Amino acid sequence: MGTSNTVKYAYIVARVRAMKGKLIPKDMFPKFINMEIPEITRFIGESEYKKDVDELGKKYKGTDLFEHALNQNLALTYRKLMEVSQDEANYLITEYLRYWDIWNIKTILRGKFSGANEEEILEDVVSAGQLRYRDLTEFARIQTVEGVIAALSKTTYYPAIAGYKGVLAEIENNLDKLYYTGLVAAGINSKDKLFSKFLRTEIDLKNLKILFRMKRAEMEREEILKLLIPGGIELKESDLTRLASLAFPEFVRALEEYSYWEAIRDISNDLNSLTNIETRLDKYGILYATRISYYYPLSILPVLDYIVSKKIEVDNLRMIVRGKETKLSEDTIKAHLVM
Amino acid sequence: MVADAGMIAIGAGIAVGLCGIGAAMGEQAIGAAAVGAMAEDEKFFGKGLLMTVIPESIAIFGLVVALILLFVFNV
Repeated sequence: MGTSNTVKYAYIVARVRAMKGKLIPKDMFPKFINMEIPEITRFIGESEYKKDVDELGKKYKGTDLFEHALNQNLALTYRKLMEVSQDEANYLITEYLRYWDIWNIKTILRGKFSGANEEEILEDVVSAGQLRYRDLTEFARIQTVEGVIAALSKTTYYPAIAGYKGVLAEIENNLDKLYYTGLVAAGINSKDKLFSKFLRTEIDLKNLKILFRMKRAEMEREEILKLLIPGGIELKESDLTRLASLAFPEFVRALEEYSYWEAIRDISNDLNSLTNIETRLDKYGILYATRISYYYPLSILPVLDYIVSKKIEVDNLRMIVRGKETKLSEDTIKAHLVM
Repeated sequence: MVADAGMIAIGAGIAVGLCGIGAAMGEQAIGAAAVGAMAEDEKFFGKGLLMTVIPESIAIFGLVVALILLFVFNV
């Protein structure tokens, strides 16, 4: 890394470290569980989300206001990262944040598939990728899935969705694969080994989640292999093939060979709850991101760590408020939080 | 004698010059980081300023060496 790169990373890293310092402390989340929704909204309205809550307060109320404020804040925060970064950092952040384009396309397609209206769809979009809110609004106005796909024909995501034959799961899987293939290529283009290392660990965690879900659903090996994403750091293609062909108890035992076992070791006797497993894997991911960001302070890793931490904060807040709204028990809400 | 004085003066110049370049190289990354932190939170102004000027001590070392050369050898 040359001097100029060090300087560029010094700027963006110091900035995201300051931004990370403003995230809601982890010990606040258990307190939120004991609060009522108006209290949480008031707390959020006095925090970093103030501007978003004030701005959207006239248009939305209650949990809708909460949801929109969180999404807008998340989108603006990520957009800011793209705007304040330069060269390699900017390229890697932009590529990484294409996740939200994939998220938004999936949300709109699912919305259209299930007959949701424009407002309901827009409640869940986060315009943090390359597709702007204006574009997303246009897509959400289109009536059919086929219409949305046609409208996306000029985007880079079209190859993944062009072959739609009435099964959304298939094109969603194609979108995920397109995203991760693009990211792996970005890691190779930038020659940033740290980015690749982070990314490949993320692919492993994603594959593990898919494996757990599919094993629970007792899917066939071939069906599972179609969904898995190649390029993981520990779970190579041969490992994935082996794990996909094992029955659930053997699959769990086989995981002991990998470092990810640490994430689920303490719940290994009770792996009935997918939520528990996924929460543990998310927690492993965030701890891993934080740990390696301290090993390599002047690199892209602290930025990626912040991106992950911010998403987890928003997810946790959303989980608490939605959980409270639907009168879920405190224990259930707590089980879904990544802390 | 004149040639000796010239060499001492060049030595003093090199000491100040190289130390200045070294300090600048240190300061560029610290300065960039300080500006980044300040952009997010103005409270970092004091700390940022302090951290940015720390490499200046290297320039002072150069200046001290240059003064020693000039005064000790009575150029």
